[in-house]
Amino acid sequence: MNNKNTLSTYYVLPYIIFSVLFILLPLFVVLYYGFTDRTGHLSLANFIHFFTNSRTIGTFFYSVVIAFLTTLFCLLLAYPIAYILAKGVYRGRHSFLLVFVLPMWINFTLRVTALKEILTYFEGNIAMHPFFNTIICMVYDFLPFMILPIFNSIVKLDDSLIEAGYDLGATKFQTFVKVIIPLTIPGIVSGVTMVFLPAMTNYVVLDMVYNSTYIMGSLIGSYFSSYDWNNGSIISAVLLIVIGLMTIISNHLINNKKW
Amino acid sequence: MRYLNKINSCILISTIVGMSLMSGCASSSDVTVLRVANWEEYIDMGDWDEDEIIELEDGSTVFGEDDLMSEFEDWYYETHHKKIKVEYSCFGTNEELYNQLTLGSVYDLVCPSEYMIMKLLHEDELLPYDESFFDKSKEENYYIRGVSNYIDNVYNELSIDGKVLHDHTAGYMWGTLGIVYNPEYVDEEDASHWNILLNDKYKRQITVKDSVRDAYFAALAIKNYDLITSEEFINAPDYHDRLTEVLNATDQSTVDAAQEVLTRIKENVYSFETDAGKADMVTGKVVANQQWSGDGAYTIEQAMDDDLELRYATPEECTNLWFDGWVMLKRGMQDDPEKKEAAQAFVNFLSRPDNVIRNMYYIGYTSVISGGKDDMIYEYAKYQCEGEEEEVDNDDVYSEADQGMEEGDESPQGDDTDDEAGQTVLDSRYDLSVLQNSGQHSEGDRQGGLRAYPLGYFFGNGSEDDDAYTLYVEPGTGQEALLESRYPLIEIMDRAVVMDYFDEKGNEAINRMWTNVRCFDLKNILLGR
Repeated sequence: MNNKNTLSTYYVLPYIIFSVLFILLPLFVVLYYGFTDRTGHLSLANFIHFFTNSRTIGTFFYSVVIAFLTTLFCLLLAYPIAYILAKGVYRGRHSFLLVFVLPMWINFTLRVTALKEILTYFEGNIAMHPFFNTIICMVYDFLPFMILPIFNSIVKLDDSLIEAGYDLGATKFQTFVKVIIPLTIPGIVSGVTMVFLPAMTNYVVLDMVYNSTYIMGSLIGSYFSSYDWNNGSIISAVLLIVIGLMTIISNHLINNKKW
Repeated sequence: MRYLNKINSCILISTIVGMSLMSGCASSSDVTVLRVANWEEYIDMGDWDEDEIIELEDGSTVFGEDDLMSEFEDWYYETHHKKIKVEYSCFGTNEELYNQLTLGSVYDLVCPSEYMIMKLLHEDELLPYDESFFDKSKEENYYIRGVSNYIDNVYNELSIDGKVLHDHTAGYMWGTLGIVYNPEYVDEEDASHWNILLNDKYKRQITVKDSVRDAYFAALAIKNYDLITSEEFINAPDYHDRLTEVLNATDQSTVDAAQEVLTRIKENVYSFETDAGKADMVTGKVVANQQWSGDGAYTIEQAMDDDLELRYATPEECTNLWFDGWVMLKRGMQDDPEKKEAAQAFVNFLSRPDNVIRNMYYIGYTSVISGGKDDMIYEYAKYQCEGEEEEVDNDDVYSEADQGMEEGDESPQGDDTDDEAGQTVLDSRYDLSVLQNSGQHSEGDRQGGLRAYPLGYFFGNGSEDDDAYTLYVEPGTGQEALLESRYPLIEIMDRAVVMDYFDEKGNEAINRMWTNVRCFDLKNILLGR
């Protein structure tokens, strides 16, 4: 028994080293650069600049709008799909799930390139609707990340709870809203976190569909390529804060059964 | 638990492999390691197909068997009897290279663009080449014996903090900045002005480089159009210096004006692109794009495979003369004479005419090496001008030109003027209409309908005989378009300026301007725009 314990301590060691080297340390580097100026002195100037400049805050706003719409449409599409896949009365639902998840195995630039050709076929010059196309490509790109967690939470759903709802006189709609949705909140929340934040920074999709307006990711990149580590880092730090807030809110949602 | 075991053994194995690799490198101390960083896809990697062999008119052949790095290692061992290992890595942009260097990557020999060379020179990071490297009498000094006089002079004129670029740089590839366009949809006249980026006739059908400096250059050309095209400006004795000054201005009012132009450009163009423009041009998604000449040639060649005709125009106001060059880094070299010798030998090896041709073939860009007394590279340029059908159709012209060359010994700058046929060829070269109205040629107005394309300024040595370096190409063909993108004419070079490395203040202003152009402005919503 003892022997096994010491062994597992050894097993943990690589992961501790990994987390320190690749998670904690970079985090401190980001925070250090974010809150210092070019000469290395502590300063809030970058932070203030980010929130007072109408263009950096405008970029934040633009990214949030893109991420919000992407998440919304992903959710609206993914929930019914996941529900049908999980609850449908047919054999081999896992192979059907595979069909929806399969695109994840293909490099996303390849998928977006293909989608671009399809959009060109329908729209003609796709540079005319950069915003619209961005949302379409983002939704397409992130959909599997929304389907999977929701599917998992619906699969785990206890059917007896739904039956209990009907037994107590709830209509189908009421059962859905009051029983099924609350019970699948953890899946929805993890789906949303998996889509919202990457969508805020995934500038490659914007580049590929000829949207020349920056989002957070491209702004960080442009600061870094002009050797401005400080202003680039503060944006990363702001995104960290957003992640932090979202994690707190989602934990609250998952644990708070009273929803 | 089995799962964990698997991962763990993976980590173990990779650690062991990694360690053994590292020790493998360290143990062989008699081998000099040369750490080279170059642009992606910017050196011949060999492995050509049999049918890719290049057979020049003078009978010599060029074939890329192995990559040039390992061929250099063999060559160095044969000629210098020393073992060398080239550690080759790539970068995507100048800024990426600079960031790598500041974050601790150590290289010995790197190949950035002119402004990054100036920046590194300004920061005292570069080692000058040895005097012996510039000794033309030595057979193995392929670089200095082969570099085009014209380009060499440009390097001599560029300096920063009193340090001349020439002493620290061995050029590699060079070119201009221009517009690749599809003549089916775009007028040549439109494409010959930077203003095309604002032309709403081509709304959302043109791409611009997603690079601050290239976009800024175009914006300054548009903003200063009236000034730089005025008679008085062009005829001023210090025209070129003044043009350089105008296109390198970074004062706040200029930057603000450029921001205004670029904001309008952003609303009018298809997109700012980093790499997609070439493919979009070939697939027909866009009808024109701002492009470096080398990529322009690449695009035109790609389109030719699809039977699509594209052309390259250098705007009439001005163009940006760019080049990439090999520079030795102080921090990497550490005053190691072995390394320095190897680095200089590497540059010379790359400048050997056959290797130059291999690189030009593989990369599609134009080398700064003209070959000096060796005409192999000129022969290659001639070879590139020949389309498959033209060879038969216009036999008479080639024989005429050849005759002149044959009589003038091995090199074409021999006295072919004595020859009557050569005389006619020469005369037609001075016929300006030949150069300007290449699109609307009529039968018989010049040598079998071929356009004379004088490149003496690049291939020659500054003497009168340079006129012999004139290529002939059929107007309206892909070969002509390729030639125009590969080798600009001298009158284009007169309006080509090098964009300096801007000082920190200027750089900051331009980067801020660029962010302003690209970012969504919250004021737009608040003010209801």
